[in-house]
Amino acid sequence: MSQREAYQFPSSSGGAGTGYAGYDTATGPKVTYICGECSAKVPLEKEDKVRCPSCGHRVLYKERTKR
Amino acid sequence: MSTTTTSTKSARTSTKWDVEYQTIRRQKLFSNTPRDHTAFPLLHAAVKPHVDSFNALFDQGLIDEALKDIGTHSVTDGDARERNARTPRNTLDLRVKEVLLDKSYLPSTNKDSLAREIFPAECRERGVTYRGKLRARLQYRVNANDWKEVVREIGSLPIMLRSNRCHLEALPPADMVRRKEESEELGGYFIVNGNEKLIRMLITPKRNYPMATLRPSFEKRGATYSKFGIIIRSVRPDQSSVTNTLHYITDGNVSFRFSWRKSEYLLPVVMLLKALVETNDHEIAQGIIGASNSSHPPSSFVSDRVELLLRTYKAYGLKTKKQTLEYLGAKFRPVLLTPVTLSDEETGAELLRRVILPHLGNINVSAAQNNDKFQLILFSIRKLYALAAGDCAPDNPDAVSNQEVLLGPFLYGMILKESIHNWLLSIGYQAREWIRTRSPPSFTDTKFEGEFLPKIVRKTNENIAQRLEYFLSTGNLVSETGLDQSQTSGYTVMAEKINFYRFISHFRCIHRGSFFAQLKTTTVRKLLPESWGFLCPVHTPDGSPCGLLNHLSHQCVVQTHNVDASGVEAALSRLGMTKRSARSVEDGLSIQLDGRVLGHMSVKRAREAAQLLRHWKVRDEKRIPKELEIGFVPTSNGGLYPGLYMFSGPARMIRPVKYIPADKVDFVGPFEQQYMTIACTETDIIPNLTTHIEYKPTNILSILANMTPFSDFNQSPRNMYQCQMSKQAMGTPSSNMMMRADNKAYLLQTGQTPVVRPPLYNEYGLDNFPNGMNAVVAVISYTGYDMDDAMIINKSSHERGFGDGVIYKTKFYDLAEKTGTGGRASRSKTEIKSMFGFADTDTNVPSDVLFHIEEDGLPKIGARVQEGSIIAAYHTVMFDPSTNSLRNLDGQTHYLKYKDSEPGYIDQIRLLGSETGDTPLQCISIKYRIPRRPIIGDKFSSRHGQKGVCSMLWPSESMPFSESGIQPDVIINPHAFPSRMTIGMFIESLAGKAGALHGLAQDSTPFSFDETHTAGDFFGDQLLQAGYNFYGNEPMYSGITGREFAADIYLGVVYYQRLRHMVSDKFQVRTTGPVNAVTGQPIKGRSKGGGVRVGEMERDSLIAHGCAYLLQDRLMDCSDKQRAWVCRDCGSFLSVQMVPNPYNALTGRRTVSVAGAGGSVPPSGIVRCRTCAREAGWEDSKLRVWADGEGKEFVGGENTTVVNVPGVLRYLDVELAAMGVRTTFTVD
Repeated sequence: MSQREAYQFPSSSGGAGTGYAGYDTATGPKVTYICGECSAKVPLEKEDKVRCPSCGHRVLYKERTKR
Repeated sequence: MSTTTTSTKSARTSTKWDVEYQTIRRQKLFSNTPRDHTAFPLLHAAVKPHVDSFNALFDQGLIDEALKDIGTHSVTDGDARERNARTPRNTLDLRVKEVLLDKSYLPSTNKDSLAREIFPAECRERGVTYRGKLRARLQYRVNANDWKEVVREIGSLPIMLRSNRCHLEALPPADMVRRKEESEELGGYFIVNGNEKLIRMLITPKRNYPMATLRPSFEKRGATYSKFGIIIRSVRPDQSSVTNTLHYITDGNVSFRFSWRKSEYLLPVVMLLKALVETNDHEIAQGIIGASNSSHPPSSFVSDRVELLLRTYKAYGLKTKKQTLEYLGAKFRPVLLTPVTLSDEETGAELLRRVILPHLGNINVSAAQNNDKFQLILFSIRKLYALAAGDCAPDNPDAVSNQEVLLGPFLYGMILKESIHNWLLSIGYQAREWIRTRSPPSFTDTKFEGEFLPKIVRKTNENIAQRLEYFLSTGNLVSETGLDQSQTSGYTVMAEKINFYRFISHFRCIHRGSFFAQLKTTTVRKLLPESWGFLCPVHTPDGSPCGLLNHLSHQCVVQTHNVDASGVEAALSRLGMTKRSARSVEDGLSIQLDGRVLGHMSVKRAREAAQLLRHWKVRDEKRIPKELEIGFVPTSNGGLYPGLYMFSGPARMIRPVKYIPADKVDFVGPFEQQYMTIACTETDIIPNLTTHIEYKPTNILSILANMTPFSDFNQSPRNMYQCQMSKQAMGTPSSNMMMRADNKAYLLQTGQTPVVRPPLYNEYGLDNFPNGMNAVVAVISYTGYDMDDAMIINKSSHERGFGDGVIYKTKFYDLAEKTGTGGRASRSKTEIKSMFGFADTDTNVPSDVLFHIEEDGLPKIGARVQEGSIIAAYHTVMFDPSTNSLRNLDGQTHYLKYKDSEPGYIDQIRLLGSETGDTPLQCISIKYRIPRRPIIGDKFSSRHGQKGVCSMLWPSESMPFSESGIQPDVIINPHAFPSRMTIGMFIESLAGKAGALHGLAQDSTPFSFDETHTAGDFFGDQLLQAGYNFYGNEPMYSGITGREFAADIYLGVVYYQRLRHMVSDKFQVRTTGPVNAVTGQPIKGRSKGGGVRVGEMERDSLIAHGCAYLLQDRLMDCSDKQRAWVCRDCGSFLSVQMVPNPYNALTGRRTVSVAGAGGSVPPSGIVRCRTCAREAGWEDSKLRVWADGEGKEFVGGENTTVVNVPGVLRYLDVELAAMGVRTTFTVD
């Protein structure tokens, strides 16, 4: 554990060596999308079904990044 | 605030438009989309033929009529070889009672969605078909017991948008926007696999009208056949058709031809007459010659032939109707495949019902209907004899007067009908297959009832709707009967949305049929006066489809429904119509309504009757419909066969004109129009002759042709070019671009409304779809970069956004397709092979990938991509039942790459779920935005067929300027005008300038100026009032020297379109690159990095210019140049061989066997000719001896050399050698 908390040099390759950095591999990444019908924000995990939980629409849009 | 909203709500949306800009009104239409109805009804009327004819399938019961025509299909059990009808048998009757089409809904397996509808926008985004469930009510019975009924699902049928089976049917614009459609969504097309497809309208021969035809190919049918014939295209109530032909045999006989399931059959016409009604020779003779009581002597030509007709028929020995029907039935039983239980007589009647003039009765044909058929055949024989005798002229099949429109949805219904019919046949077949396994083989088997559905019906292909989806997506007609059509492919087209003009034109376009495209004669392409007002004379492409692909005039309507014309017969009876014909045509003009002989009248009376009918029709009296076509063909000297022919059926082109006596609208058809006097303008009216007048002279033009300003000033081909080019302009394809996923879409960023436009521009709502921009144009030869239609764009205008555009490309990435688990349907979790995202245990993700791709494996919106950029990450997975999850095992991440050479930006990413809503992410679509600022080489055009290529972006400070300080946006060369004579462009320039100065919208309707009131004066005066030169030219100063030009320069405002042909899509350059594997020559094709061919003529000109080195470079050095060894003595490429190096490269010692591992020989650099060498003897010097790969020693063959030759030459040499041909090359 202590090793893990030690300072790591920032490198452009992110968390090379630990797989995709910063994510709990058990649940997978969580990214939010926008429903094509009701514009609700849809958080979608890796194995989730592609559908809006509130209206059931089947087309989701990727959100524009704010950066 | 609230009061204003309520007031706008209560007010009906106005549909009146004028030529003005209406900026505020349009702004309000945008921000407050109408909730009642569209503001542009004319636009919706343009696609009406498509939508209404689709609606007619179910609303007007065309499908029901089709089911009735199919009737009951009966199969019998027992031995099929046993022909005796008396043997007791059981009969299974099958029929489809009803076909139901649902709207598009989610499948019941999807339990998560509240809204069950599937809207068209979703289908476009997900790339699927917009379709609804099709069900059939199948009925069956055994041995005429009670019908049993079952409803079967027979697939999902693609639905036309805005039809009565579409969710959008009656939505007002506001709801349309809510459903992610354009506010003015027109419908009329289908969505198949995400593509917008529409069924083309086709020209077909006019229905139910016996057409006199001269066709030399008829003579090839047999020894005595003549070129004369009468062709009747008989259309059933379900709109399917049958063509019946009467052939004139040179001896005077007449034979009747029809086709059944693509095979042709001939009958003696008298046999048909005797089969239809109980008749005798006298009656037939009177029917053809005319009643004997008339004073006129019979024509010997006709009476001789009628005598022969009847005399030759005696050979058959058939007298009564029953005998004839039995004879026919016996002959046609194997063709019609009627069940054995049906008697010969009934089979004969079935033949008459199905193929003989079915427009006069095809279901439960009554005796009266058979008499109608009898009468029409008599008329046809009479007309045929008149044609053969030269008394009447043939009807021109290429004239619109003898044509009608095959509406796409009608064809769609016909295919559905045939598919259902085939389904019934296959159920019957399966039923017979089933009883084969039973003993005794009988339909009365106790198990039959229980196994009918699971064992018989389910074995047939029940996915009937799939055939229609196939039809829409490919345009191919797969049919056993051929459906009376002359082509098998090319029925559907993609409704491309390059811009709105292109899109709307698809719905107004009419094709003559691909059969006519191969014809070498030009007669079918000719512009005939009959087309006036129905087909646009301007709007047809140049080149191979010229004249075959026409467009409807903008006021032309295609009738899609049946109208009630029952009042016609009653009205005519009161006007003295009799049933009896007369010997002379003058006394007994045939009167027909929709191909049914109503009776006869004298010519004089008939003319008056026609006038009266028209009067009543226009005033809506006596139950005579407005759409009725009253074609009175008067007697003439060898003209068309006279008669009073009336038509009320659908698929006719009709158009509104003003009936002068009543000052009311009259709908005129092309057949009657040839005998009417319709004035074009007020001045054309001839008193006591002219009955009608055009509402506007521009009604003859199509929508696009109407948009060409002052087109009456241009040379006509220029207007045709403009119609073509406006369809290629980068414009505004639709206002819901973010909701669409077109493969490729062009968008003009800085579209403007034209200053110069006709009022129709607003009526069609074209301001919603701007197609170009107003530009200040100077006509001057200035820069030297304006040769040959080049144009110079002001660099500052360019920087302000002149012509700025983008291309949107959408690409689908489907993981399921990649791993080959099958199509997009049913992907359960266990079947998934790969998923988007990084592999969990991948330790080797490159840093630049992490910069582009986010944790979900998809790129960021707005990221710039170029060739080879990584756009998505995915990894393989396996289903792990222990954790019920998908796990990655190999720890490898795979990447999808952007393949285009042009950089772009990621505009949108869609995550596409499935209809069932239960699958993880497998498919995405990415929309790329590729910016396309105008660059040198991009194509532009004005609205007058004046296209040009941008040759320079000229710096603003070096542009010429006028006295008021105005610089042109565009400079064009004056030489563009003299030969092309596009005076309309001058007028537009003048009008645009005046309009811009005064802030006016200028009306550019053609035919609105004349000699006394000229356009030049009108707009010149406006210019004068604004303080400009009357003639539109003004003094200008050189931007470089600052001095005034010697001549005044013509400067004005012209609307310019940017065309979609851009150098970025076209440039092709190569020095070296991929080559053909066999020849070694460069491959062709821009996309593959190939070269441009220097062909024979190019080669000739290079020789003529003496450019030897250039030629050498093109044809050798950059092509398949090879260095090849050749023997100077024997002149052969094939006999030379490289002497193997006898020394081992590693040890440096001479080896015994030269061939190394795998037979490879180390080269020595010494090449010898084997044929010129002789075997070495003991006396030969060791210095001269050489050994081949096997160690055999030779002497001689030293005279070899290297030459540069084309690679194909050696290939040719080898190929010739293989055929035993030897070539010898002399090396100097």
